[in-house]
Amino acid sequence: MKINAKNNAHERARQLIALSGPEALSAADRREDQPSNAWLAAHLEACASCRAFAENAAETIRGLRSIPIAAERSLVSTTQMRVRRRALELQRHRERLWMVSVSCTAVTLCALLSTVALWRGFEWLGARAHLASSVWQVAFLVFCVMPALVAAILLLAKDTHLPDHTGSYQG
Amino acid sequence: MLDRLIDQYQHRLLRYLVYLTGRRELAEDLFQETWIRVLERGHQFNDKYAFSTWLFSVARNLAIDHLRRKQPASLDGLMNGKDNDNNDAAPFDVPATGRPSAFDLTLQREQGEHIAAGMQHLPAEYREALMLRFQEGMSLEEIASLARVPLGTVKSRIYRGLSALEPWLKGAQL
Repeated sequence: MKINAKNNAHERARQLIALSGPEALSAADRREDQPSNAWLAAHLEACASCRAFAENAAETIRGLRSIPIAAERSLVSTTQMRVRRRALELQRHRERLWMVSVSCTAVTLCALLSTVALWRGFEWLGARAHLASSVWQVAFLVFCVMPALVAAILLLAKDTHLPDHTGSYQG
Repeated sequence: MLDRLIDQYQHRLLRYLVYLTGRRELAEDLFQETWIRVLERGHQFNDKYAFSTWLFSVARNLAIDHLRRKQPASLDGLMNGKDNDNNDAAPFDVPATGRPSAFDLTLQREQGEHIAAGMQHLPAEYREALMLRFQEGMSLEEIASLARVPLGTVKSRIYRGLSALEPWLKGAQL
């Protein structure tokens, strides 16, 4: 039982040493661990093996900090060049997206306005020709879908389809 | 602006990636990818965290993605140091300073070499925790949030990592 308690004390002391490092404890850590620090100081005074561990840990940390890993200038300049190129691509992509969205908005607005105008035109023609409203309405619908229908018929007649994923046409 | 950030964080980011991956070449590739990702995802940066923490987490995710592509079945490779295609290469090379060295400088450099050799034998998560704590000076909470692990796990990684390096330090003292 006593041996277990002793081992636990060593383990606790070593964990505290490892976590704090020689000077790495932040102010918050210090406040939080103040009672632990007092306990650790007392333990270190009495325990030679933990004192040795603390010295080794401090040296290991100093050794860790002395490992110089530096980025070479060529790596940094290559990275900066790649980042600039990518930034340019992204900017172009954003500009294209902006153009597409402006075009889509303009087309939608034009389509709405022309649909209203066409509807009124067909209504007026139907009234002039004394047609039933269902007749000029059907005529209006046919007129609206006609361009798409003609395009579809022409494509089918040419036996062409949408491009496949490689961009080539099957036929 | 990004040019300045690259200049400012070049050594810290590369060091983090070298520690994380254990391979200099891979770390350099990921270094470039990280900055591209920073450019693309800059809007996701939350300024309530330190930029370095966010930068390291971007780098960390890229390293894990790299491993996932390489070993779709398992993510343990990086963390167990199995990602080393070239095991002979020493990622933590300690270059000679070239200056006439005083005794303590030489000793410190030798110690660094031994510790660097020891680091190669540690699992990546230990290397990462030690580096973030003692080189970056991050708080335990910051490391936990970056590595997305509980605080207790971070503590245990630092303790075990440091304990595992002890024999290497003793080697240095021989």
